[in-house]
Amino acid sequence: MKSFRTILYSALFVIAPAVRAELPVKKVMTLNVAKKIAAAAEAEANRRHLTAVIVVVDDGGYPLLLQRLDNTQVASVEVGIGKARTAAIFRRPSKDFEDQVKDGRIAALALPGATPLQGGVPIILDGKVIGAIGVSGESPKDDEDVAKAGAAAAAAAIAAEGGSRE
Amino acid sequence: MNIFKSTVAAAALLSIAPLAQAQFAETKSLTMDGARRVIDAAVAAANNKKTTGVIAVVDNGGNLMALERIDGTFAAGANISIGKARTALLFQKPTKVFEDIVNKGRTAMVALDGFTPLQGGVPVSVDGQIVGAVGVSGAASAQQDEELAMAGAKAFESGPPPVSYFPKDQVKAAFAKGSVLFDHSDKYMVHASRREQSGMSEIHTKDADIVYVLDGIATLVTGGTAVNSKPIAADEFRGERIDGGETRLLSKGDVIIIPAGVPHWFKEVTNPFLYYVVKAR
Repeated sequence: MKSFRTILYSALFVIAPAVRAELPVKKVMTLNVAKKIAAAAEAEANRRHLTAVIVVVDDGGYPLLLQRLDNTQVASVEVGIGKARTAAIFRRPSKDFEDQVKDGRIAALALPGATPLQGGVPIILDGKVIGAIGVSGESPKDDEDVAKAGAAAAAAAIAAEGGSRE
Repeated sequence: MNIFKSTVAAAALLSIAPLAQAQFAETKSLTMDGARRVIDAAVAAANNKKTTGVIAVVDNGGNLMALERIDGTFAAGANISIGKARTALLFQKPTKVFEDIVNKGRTAMVALDGFTPLQGGVPVSVDGQIVGAVGVSGAASAQQDEELAMAGAKAFESGPPPVSYFPKDQVKAAFAKGSVLFDHSDKYMVHASRREQSGMSEIHTKDADIVYVLDGIATLVTGGTAVNSKPIAADEFRGERIDGGETRLLSKGDVIIIPAGVPHWFKEVTNPFLYYVVKAR
């Protein structure tokens, strides 16, 4: 199964053969990889007997996969999506913003589209953010750890899918 | 697998328990496993039609439980599918009903809060009770969104399962490499079995093997004592050989039935040895 589809950044009206080689390409996360990342996070949540919403988003912050484990508070759906989106579109763990606010940069709360709460972790391939995982459910530390457990499974999941392709 | 959970909705707080009973209503809602089953059914339908799509499942309060976006589906589909599922749940009707109402001229209806009047959202019912809803966006057409959602909503429909038909070419191909033809492992399975050499001793603690020999000759040992028998999967043991037991020579046209729990061992086979097996629970 193809793990990554190549997307050509759209340039309209180009003459195909001459220009194709110059267009940048990006790698895209597949649903299969997202499932493996979420499964790893779910295993960690179960190990700790936690309830949680686990979300995997693409590099634009849009959900690819979401699962709310039984008995998880419903508010965690939006929070989980927000954390994942933050990690994806700001290309860093959402904890960075939580720390900024804690350290006095209250202005970080005004960032558009950001959920400055730990528990969102980017998924990185070849140095580029291809998506993110967000977790919300119980304590901030647990959310962060469960998200990290998911992100840690990303490399193996990608390799199992046949590696990256241009 | 537990696919529903019952919740007791509080109608009166601080009431004394025995008196309160009549003041609570029990409702069923999907569990995570149930939500996955809905998604799997919708994804299977999408694969069948070779289309993309995002599938969202909400519980009986309209809260998102699970979502999957099939590769290649546009990103906006994620939010639209959630909106359709939520609308179907909160209004207890397929969203197509509202799309039709709006299209027929009741435009003011789009002003409703949190309302996605686009076809592709369908309630999921069990025993006449709505337990959740499924929303689909990003298939090839609005009509197809609706079809995938319906396929998901039917995941719990009782009634007989569909008929399975395997044309002879498919059966022949299955015997050529030896494979599972039909897997309904909680009830029965059909294997197109092929052996090219002797096997290990086997014990299936839940499955009986009903065998019809199609080709070749085998020495089959049943009963006796399985040596070094170890669990390899749920309800499955494999061992080195069988000591003692009954030995039979099987050839084309023979039928043998090995009840669950009886050790058996294909001690010797001609290559190939082909046999049709029904595994029954």
